[in-house]
Amino acid sequence: MKALIEFQQVCKYYYMGDDTVVAADHISFQVFKGEFVAIVGQSGSGKSTCMNIIGCLDVPSEGTYLLDGRDVGQMDKDELAEIRNELLGFIFQQYNLLPKLNLLENVEVPLMYAGVPKRERRERAKIALEMVGLGDKIKHKPNELSGGQQQRVSIARALVGEPAVILADEPTGALDSRTGREVLGILQELHAAGHTVVLITHDNSIAVQAQRIIRLEDGHVLYDGPSDAPEAVVTPRAAGMGGVPS
Amino acid sequence: MSILESVELALKNIVSSKTRTLLTMLGIIIGVAAVIVIVGLGNGLEGYVAGSFSDMGTNTLTVTVMSRGSTRSLSVDEMYEIVAENSQYLDLCSPTVNMMGYVKIGSETLSSTSSMGVSEDYFGISGDTVAKGRGLQYSDIANRSKVCVIGAFLDQAYFGGNAVGETLRVGGTSLTIVGVLAQSGERLEEGGADDCLYLPYSTASRISGEISSYVVTMRDEDHIDESVDALERALYAVFASDSYYTVTSMAEMLETMTSMINILVGVLAGIAAISLVVGGIGIMNIMLVSVTERTREIGIRKSLGAKERCIMQQFVIEAACTSALGGITGILIGRGLSVLASRVVTRLMGETLTVSPTAAAVGMAFGISVGIGILFGYLPAKNAHVR
Ligand SMILES: Nc1ncnc2c1ncn2[C@@H]1O[C@H](COP(=O)(O)OP(=O)(O)O)[C@@H](O)[C@H]1O
Ligand SMILES: [Mg+2]
Repeated sequence: MKALIEFQQVCKYYYMGDDTVVAADHISFQVFKGEFVAIVGQSGSGKSTCMNIIGCLDVPSEGTYLLDGRDVGQMDKDELAEIRNELLGFIFQQYNLLPKLNLLENVEVPLMYAGVPKRERRERAKIALEMVGLGDKIKHKPNELSGGQQQRVSIARALVGEPAVILADEPTGALDSRTGREVLGILQELHAAGHTVVLITHDNSIAVQAQRIIRLEDGHVLYDGPSDAPEAVVTPRAAGMGGVPS
Repeated sequence: MSILESVELALKNIVSSKTRTLLTMLGIIIGVAAVIVIVGLGNGLEGYVAGSFSDMGTNTLTVTVMSRGSTRSLSVDEMYEIVAENSQYLDLCSPTVNMMGYVKIGSETLSSTSSMGVSEDYFGISGDTVAKGRGLQYSDIANRSKVCVIGAFLDQAYFGGNAVGETLRVGGTSLTIVGVLAQSGERLEEGGADDCLYLPYSTASRISGEISSYVVTMRDEDHIDESVDALERALYAVFASDSYYTVTSMAEMLETMTSMINILVGVLAGIAAISLVVGGIGIMNIMLVSVTERTREIGIRKSLGAKERCIMQQFVIEAACTSALGGITGILIGRGLSVLASRVVTRLMGETLTVSPTAAAVGMAFGISVGIGILFGYLPAKNAHVR
């Protein structure tokens, strides 16, 4: 079976003056269709770097990233924009809704860039908003909603284009624990419905809600396996710097 | 994303920040309005000048003789002879004596009335027709009759329409009114085309001295140069020098005046156009700020699959819409000011001057403002996609 996401020895360097920051150091893993994977690690471990690469917002400095079998490193900016639009749905910590647009228009944006005609766009955006329980608020502006509701709008926006992968970067980070659980519940439902979900978090208790965990530290993969294995949630310090479990 | 959708989005953005948009557009509004009013004024001026010349007809030549200092002089009969000898080019001729003295009717002194001594052919040259009474006749000239023909304004304003048979005074000489001309201006007004008086040139020269200028009509307006040449050659033969006379063609004078007005208007419009450019820089400023302010929006849109081209398009169209809106507002204000200026000038000068912007000026001002919007929207947008 072909992997949906495949990292082959991916490295990412940031150059700051004379210093080189190694944000990703030969990271390799595969994610298959229908999986629910959490990428977990402390702040600075390289999660956002991985997320940017998976999300085609950035390209590896070294190594190969294949998304649905296509080599993202070889793509130009327009192709990256297209593949983002076609294959990826983003959920951000800060929701990242456009404040001037109402909910319906916000959810329509990805479809607009995909060139979907207006009427169909309206229809699909409405359905997506109904799915996250906001069908009655489509004319509201984002700032008229609670954080949890805004995050549900961003989930609707991530879903509306029927992407192959849903990428959630700290989706519960700005929410209280109850609404955070609600949002996680929705992600689990999506997984149950057959969607591929990649969840990025620093919080072990959230990571264990996923099916599989990839633990990062200092740009390395420290652990990659099922979330219910005991090593999955071991803190990096306790695990020591000794070795990387395979 | 289609252009139409971009326009929709741009308008939404413009409406959602009205104050900023208004400030952005201000330069464009002022620039466009200024260009329109200035070009309109120029047109009005040109129309006014052309109008005052056409009173005289563009097929006329004016001869001015300055025989002081010369041993030779030119009599009226000699001038008639010259015209008759060149009859293949020249047609009618009349001496013109401008009267400096005021016209007096009863105890009232009229300062704006133009009074002129002319021959019996003059009304044929100027195209005036006699509405009441009679025109000037050869016998009036020969006898130095103390008669005159007046314009419709004087007839209406001072004689209640019954001027024929009444008298008035010019430079101390009492003249009997024998005829009234048909109205030739748009309105009967003081200082207008109908505030005039004509008397025999012979009578006039007795009041105010030597006859020194003539109007001559040409048979064919296409032979201005030949006609002028013929006259000049004949006059040279009389004076044996070219420093005692000038021959001016009305058509050429009109052309000179028109081109002078055009240069003036061009310079003024150029200055106004600078404010358009300044307005454009204003747009660029706001666009730059807006690009920086909206890096977050740009980032979000990119993550949702927007190509750089789409984002560029969005900013450029927003700038273009802003400046187009400014352009339209400027056109409306410019038109309003033109109407106002027409009224003010007409009231102040007592002359009818219609400030009328040409469609070309309006179109150009609008086109330039949109062009500036696109250009100055494009530059910061280029910045946006670097991020
Ligand atoms: N744009 C950048 N420029 C320089 N250094 C960066 C940049 N982004 C991330 N880094 C560095 O790369 C490392 C990994 O960062 P990041 O991927 O953001 O980690 P996380 O999301 O897990 O907190 C950190 O040391 C961070 O300082
Ligand atoms: Mg991060």
